[in-house]
Amino acid sequence: MGPQHPSTHGVLRLELKLSGETVVDSVVHIGYLHRSIEKIAEKRTYTQFIPFTDRLDYLASMNNNLAYVLAAEKLMGIEANDRAKHIRVIMAEFNRIASHLFGVTTFTQDLGAFATPLFYGMREREKIVEFFDSVCGQRLTYNYMRIGGVSRDLPAGSEDKIKKIVAYLRPKFDDLEAMFSANRIFTARTKGIGTLTGEKAVNYGVTGPNLRASGVKWDLRKDEPYECYDKFDFDIPTGRNGDAWDRYKVRMEEMRQSLRIIEQAAGGMPEGDPTVKAGRIFRPAPGQAYVRSENPRGELGFFIVSDGSPVPYRLKIRAPSFSNISVLPELIKGLKVADAVCVLGSLDVVMGEIDR
Amino acid sequence: MTVSILTFIIMIIVGVMALGFIAVSAMFLIWWERKVSAHIQTRYGPMRVGWHGALQSVADVIKLLLKENITPAGADKAVWWTAPFFAVVPSVMVFAPIGHDLNIGVLYIMAMTSLCVLGIFMAGWGSNNKYSLLGGMRSAAQIISYEIPLILAMVTAVMFAGTLSIQKIVEAQKDAWFVFHPSMAVAFLVFLIAGTAEVNRTPFDIPEAESELVAGFHTEYSGMKFAMFFLGEYTNMLIISALAAVLFLGGWNGPFLHPILWFLIKTYGIVTLMMWIRWTLPRVRVDQLMNFAWKVLTPVSFVNLAVAGWVLVR
Amino acid sequence: MIKALFITLKNIFVKPVTLQYPTQKMPMAERFRGLVDLRTEKCIKCNQCVKICPTSCLDLAVSSQEGADKKKEFGHFKYNMELCCFCGLCEQVCPTQAIYMNKIYEISVYGHDKLHIDLLDSGKYDEWAHPTVK
Repeated sequence: MGPQHPSTHGVLRLELKLSGETVVDSVVHIGYLHRSIEKIAEKRTYTQFIPFTDRLDYLASMNNNLAYVLAAEKLMGIEANDRAKHIRVIMAEFNRIASHLFGVTTFTQDLGAFATPLFYGMREREKIVEFFDSVCGQRLTYNYMRIGGVSRDLPAGSEDKIKKIVAYLRPKFDDLEAMFSANRIFTARTKGIGTLTGEKAVNYGVTGPNLRASGVKWDLRKDEPYECYDKFDFDIPTGRNGDAWDRYKVRMEEMRQSLRIIEQAAGGMPEGDPTVKAGRIFRPAPGQAYVRSENPRGELGFFIVSDGSPVPYRLKIRAPSFSNISVLPELIKGLKVADAVCVLGSLDVVMGEIDR
Repeated sequence: MTVSILTFIIMIIVGVMALGFIAVSAMFLIWWERKVSAHIQTRYGPMRVGWHGALQSVADVIKLLLKENITPAGADKAVWWTAPFFAVVPSVMVFAPIGHDLNIGVLYIMAMTSLCVLGIFMAGWGSNNKYSLLGGMRSAAQIISYEIPLILAMVTAVMFAGTLSIQKIVEAQKDAWFVFHPSMAVAFLVFLIAGTAEVNRTPFDIPEAESELVAGFHTEYSGMKFAMFFLGEYTNMLIISALAAVLFLGGWNGPFLHPILWFLIKTYGIVTLMMWIRWTLPRVRVDQLMNFAWKVLTPVSFVNLAVAGWVLVR
Repeated sequence: MIKALFITLKNIFVKPVTLQYPTQKMPMAERFRGLVDLRTEKCIKCNQCVKICPTSCLDLAVSSQEGADKKKEFGHFKYNMELCCFCGLCEQVCPTQAIYMNKIYEISVYGHDKLHIDLLDSGKYDEWAHPTVK
């Protein structure tokens, strides 16, 4: 299955060895989207690198920004003020919803429900993306967070807007789920397909909704809280079997929990000035810092080594989709080709992250 | 058999008219499908060519006519060239006895639609492409498996009417449509499901599916040949819907309106139902499809036939 | 399964959300980051924007002679649209809000040279479509 294929999410080359229609062996070829982002980081100042983090997992830009900014803040010993933290959490959770909407609906498209759920999902995602447009000016690559805060404060009337979006989205998630959860064709196609046991998932380094669907209750927002996630009350949905159905269900539930977090964050928004001047050149003391955060796809980690100069000495990105896709050859062994496509869709990988 | 020149000319004219009717209705169906699917997805569909995109099908046909005819290397020329004809001609032949009351009407229609399998199989084989072959074989298996429940459902209707002729079946429904009898309702459901599978539409559209690895039996066709496959598919859908309307929904019976209008309403109602299902449900996997046909639909239709027979004989 | 059918049925009667582009265009948000533009009278030629651009798409040259009012004169202020990633850092760092991002987003042209412009040229965006702002 070559690099250009309607079902692989990005440029991925999947070499399948088939016996009849069953997959006997497979090799995953990546690297078609490699842009040497880590090398570029060695020549850019810390603030200049933020637009590059947008383009890693381009469906979850805010979360990427957040992870990088947290790593840089840890390196420099800076902490953002409360209002900035609340804003960052709201943005990260909205982006989680947008990313999951995209992932779930493209998954159903791979299964054959042509474009209908995709259109519904995109219609809901439009509300979120419009909100982002009004705050930072872009719809996909936001470049919103700064080291120590955010670039601009929320415009006036944002809190009402957030409330309206949350109220609009809630019933739509029920609609979207009803289209599939009770659908016997859908359950027959996804239950028992691509089962990943919890132990295997941990061994491979799978994180995020894929790990939680396998029954392992691990979420960085609860287990190693960053920002102000410990102030909010939300649940971590887990699955039981780790098949494609569980992964889909976990993502739907996570969207609902994200709505809860947003409501709580927007409800008690502290006052203050969350912005940071863009022109400040940071010269951190020599040292290193590794921070990981919960992206919609898993655990995104930034490892920054500084040698005292305004540019990092080395920046390493631990991308969640890279580990998630490493489990693919094992999962699709013995499945039919159609199921291989289904498993790939349920893993929800983005090639931008894998290849960097 | 001596046929005078005049009769021959009349035959040709009627034949061309029938072909024209089929072509126009297929083009209308294509436009209707795009509009229905668009509104289900809260978008507009074709809007620019003509009023609300009414001439879009015309534009598409012109485009297909102008495309280059590429013959794949190593293809079995004779098989590959004649496959599209085998896909379209039987569907068109179904419309041949319009106007005459063929006393084996239902049997004739069934025989003609069964020939379409040949076209698909030949396309898969002649393309010299292992994915086309796989697609063609899967499609042939699907169509042949679903023929049995289809025929059984139709036989139930024939039993209720007592005759194979289409006109007489519709007449027998003058007082009450057949679908209101319980065993006929089951037969109607079976007919719709089997019919959707016959026509290769979602949720049974594995041969047609463009996503997934196998691109289908008609990958190697471009231009007019592809248009013929396409036309054949939509004509088949029209035939199945028309059959459903005639056998179960009372054909052209109905108060107030002209019979032809009723017939069109019922046929396009079923067509819209098929489109609605297509754009809502995901695709069924090949083995699940065969499972469903042999282990669920066929026994159900057999039992239904027995029950219907018992009800009638009582 | 039937529930799914009812949901799609409901959506048939919902007004389509499509905008008939190009006859109907969406208004841009107030903070939308389009192309880079310059208010030449406010620019103090501090070079902050040039230094902060992650892709080095701005090139400011100041002539060595001083002008009539002892202020430095512009040589050129080149902007390479092919490299610009529309991040908005230049707009945020400018102390006088001279460089800013306008709302133009339809930037397809018929030649690479049209994408290398001089921000000092006052008529540079005259032929481009200027969208409405919300």
